[in-house]
Amino acid sequence: MRRITELVAILSLILGVSVLLVLAASILLPGIEVRQLAFFYLYTTINPWFQNYTVNSPEAVTAIVWDYRGLDTLFETSVFYLALIAGLALARGLFSETPQGSFNEKTHGLTTIVKTVTRVTAPMIIAVGASIGLHGHLTPGGGFQGGATIAVIPLVFIVVYSTLFLIARGVTSNKMLVLRSIGLLGIGFTSIAAFLIGLAIGRFAYVFQNMPKPGAVVGLPADINGALISGTLWFFNLFEMIAVAAGFTIAFIILLLAGRGGSGGR
Amino acid sequence: MKVYAETIIYLIMAVVSLLSVVAVYLAIVERDLIKAVIYSALQSGFYAVLYYLLMAPDIVLVYLPVAVGLIPGVLIVLISKTERWEKE
Repeated sequence: MRRITELVAILSLILGVSVLLVLAASILLPGIEVRQLAFFYLYTTINPWFQNYTVNSPEAVTAIVWDYRGLDTLFETSVFYLALIAGLALARGLFSETPQGSFNEKTHGLTTIVKTVTRVTAPMIIAVGASIGLHGHLTPGGGFQGGATIAVIPLVFIVVYSTLFLIARGVTSNKMLVLRSIGLLGIGFTSIAAFLIGLAIGRFAYVFQNMPKPGAVVGLPADINGALISGTLWFFNLFEMIAVAAGFTIAFIILLLAGRGGSGGR
Repeated sequence: MKVYAETIIYLIMAVVSLLSVVAVYLAIVERDLIKAVIYSALQSGFYAVLYYLLMAPDIVLVYLPVAVGLIPGVLIVLISKTERWEKE
């Protein structure tokens, strides 16, 4: 009886808040300036007749995330990196990656059925993640989405095969940190790519510039041999995918190895 | 005909959001933490459906691997290192 009363109370609270929100939404409409901004983003995201303002990406969300509001995303990426550094600092000394004993197919991990299924599905998951990430400028998705999908793989392998397997195959937190840093360096260089090209050929260019803009004619190519890459967007997505996948893997390795004296989960 | 389709989509959204509330309630009151994690993943699945119906496929793509794959995985590993049953 008490549980039912609790449930009814929670449900009525949520329904009441929803009604309030609906009423508020019909009164508090966003102003006309905001609408013009949205119209501008959608109008210019891929517009061959408006060459000086377009991003040449049919996916407006990725265009906004990495081009119009690219600096926000850069800071989000650095926040994720700082969180990882904090995690590594906290777990310092709590885990060691020298494998205690070697990986044994018979004794470690789950049954053969689970292992075989994992082996078959792992390349598929990586392919889906890569296609989500690398087609981020064409279809819904992007670097973070693709990287998070790929990061499922190390977790599944740790659960199914044990951490010893990953460490024996060379997936250590130091290597992942290097990979993660390569991704971040790539993001950094991509964000100043147009600026560096401008320096090299002596033209004016902005930091975080993608396509040529009025007054700054330097820009990255919108396509390579007919395949649309939308200038910097493809490179941002690629490096973000690497950085996110490696970052999540570091987090798993820390969580699974810490506190067991390096023996790892079974 | 178009009006009906829209109404049906709104109805599905209403049902799915109410089901997600039920999943949250079950996750909170459940004493077995493994089951609570599964209820939480169920709630995330309902949210992913909601995001899809609200025409935000980008969010669906980041929400599904993180909220249904990564977070339950990490939580289950952490539970296996501590205790499975919640105390009073």
